[in-house]
Amino acid sequence: MSMRAQSATMPWQSRRARRTAKGLIAALFMAAVLVFVLMPFYWMLKSSFQTNKEILAMPPIWFPRTFSLEAYEKAMKVIPFTRYIMNSLFTAMATTLISTSLAAMGAYALARYRFPGDTLVLVIVMFTQLIPAITRLFPIYFTLKGLGLLNSYQGLIIAYTSFSLPYAALILRGYFQGSYPLELEEAALIDGCGYFSAFLRIVLPISIPGIIAVATFAFLGAWNDFLWSSILLTRGEMKTIQVGIRDFMGEFGGAQRANAFMASCVMTTVPAVILFRIAQKYMVQGISAGAIKG
Amino acid sequence: MVRRKNAFCYLMVAPMLALVLVLGVYPMLQTLGMSVVQYDLMRIAREGTPFVGLENFRQICAEPRFWIAFRNTLVFVAIVVGCVVALGLLVAQVLNMDFRGRGVLRSLILVPWVTPPVVSSAIWIWMYMADRSPINHVLMSLGLLHAPIRFLTDATKVWGPFSVPMGAVSSVRIWNGLPFVTVMLLAGLQSIPHEVYEAAEIDGASSIAKFRHITLPMLGPVLSVLVTLLTIGGIGHFEMNYIMTLGGPKDLTNVLSVLAYQSAFTFYRFDLGAAISAIILLSTGAVAAFYIRAQLRATAAG
Repeated sequence: MSMRAQSATMPWQSRRARRTAKGLIAALFMAAVLVFVLMPFYWMLKSSFQTNKEILAMPPIWFPRTFSLEAYEKAMKVIPFTRYIMNSLFTAMATTLISTSLAAMGAYALARYRFPGDTLVLVIVMFTQLIPAITRLFPIYFTLKGLGLLNSYQGLIIAYTSFSLPYAALILRGYFQGSYPLELEEAALIDGCGYFSAFLRIVLPISIPGIIAVATFAFLGAWNDFLWSSILLTRGEMKTIQVGIRDFMGEFGGAQRANAFMASCVMTTVPAVILFRIAQKYMVQGISAGAIKG
Repeated sequence: MVRRKNAFCYLMVAPMLALVLVLGVYPMLQTLGMSVVQYDLMRIAREGTPFVGLENFRQICAEPRFWIAFRNTLVFVAIVVGCVVALGLLVAQVLNMDFRGRGVLRSLILVPWVTPPVVSSAIWIWMYMADRSPINHVLMSLGLLHAPIRFLTDATKVWGPFSVPMGAVSSVRIWNGLPFVTVMLLAGLQSIPHEVYEAAEIDGASSIAKFRHITLPMLGPVLSVLVTLLTIGGIGHFEMNYIMTLGGPKDLTNVLSVLAYQSAFTFYRFDLGAAISAIILLSTGAVAAFYIRAQLRATAAG
């Protein structure tokens, strides 16, 4: 109430003052958050461009005095970097293809039609998506071992699909539900279009943004995985980049070769960030439509 | 017509459902099965896998490490969920304001989301190196600290389940989880119609009143979804605690998933690992069941 009295005496002044104060607090807060969020990336980047001597200096040197790409060259030699990247790329792409296409089919039926058992299917998928991976880890490990699929692309793709398929299905279901009116298919069906061709020729083409978003997430989930690849891969040449980075950190002395280690981290993160940037505009709409509706 | 529609739906759902059952539901049941037999890789060749009932659960409950990990998991979840939601709410509020550069900020804030957990852990280990930590350097230069904080190794200052390493590891998970929370809350904020705020402003409502009586209630559904997802994810969280500290020092950052993984792959006691996993399965399963029920009701109602 006192505010009202105040604004009666000098309406524009106090409101503007309050606005500025609020803006200032918001700006300061945001600056602090940005430091928290971005500082580690700066630290990684600057370390990757420094010489090792400079990195190990105490107190730390904040701005590189020398700027060299030597660390990147070294990083490629300490671990078979290219090979690991290719392993990750291939398994992540295969996972994306399998889980996005199967998820799109299943999610479409769940989103657009009612059929006996639809709720049960949805509950099973939701439950599997929610429950942490550790509860499936040991049996899948033994099954794949029994099939002779340790240290194989197939084994990795199967394991990745186990978490990426239900995830993709739920997001796509939300997307299919919210993105266009029910009349779309009704009209198509009345025009003599079959169910399959309504899905393939009408729904899929207009759903490209959502599918790209989901494919990106499926890819990133597989690309970033450590838990599964750490148990399924024991042999050098089959390892994924995440396991390679972990080896680098441990066995190959992240500390003695800190700059090369940071360079390998940069090279592992950059593809993920670029992909994310490309898909970002599709993503937010796809994700928020999908995730909130569960 | 109806039969053709149903046939179409079953055909579309079948491949997905088959894979989810084989790779999701069945392994979970197998884990439950593994938790009530003896599954010790050192003895399996001679003794096989005899049924032992609840013996594995009795064994882990007799183990102090299990209770430490159990308590740590609860603390980890509480810290991470509390902080990341509070921080996300504030960040989303700011990003929902109208100012220049908002788009850039929104993109920048997302980067930790896509950073691989191994890399996140690696950078933060590097940031946390006691002697070379930029954090320590700043704090010491400002005279706020006399000796460097040993973020990941200090086992001397322990306050119940709280410790320096627990705080350090939780911060990394908060850092990593903030983008997702912010995106979800921002989407929630954007769905609140402007008119509601304008009406409140005409009535002279303060910012705090607007936040309490409009923003929070309108965000309710998104918030409950977030808290549920983060809680379930937190109970099963593995990567950061494993990669950064292996659960150490002195089990200060050990959590259930890490303990289960180590029991299995370090000590070859897959039965004990499965018993811990079964506990994770049952607790997250209970939360998930409530969540799924609420979601289905909401869909049925709306």
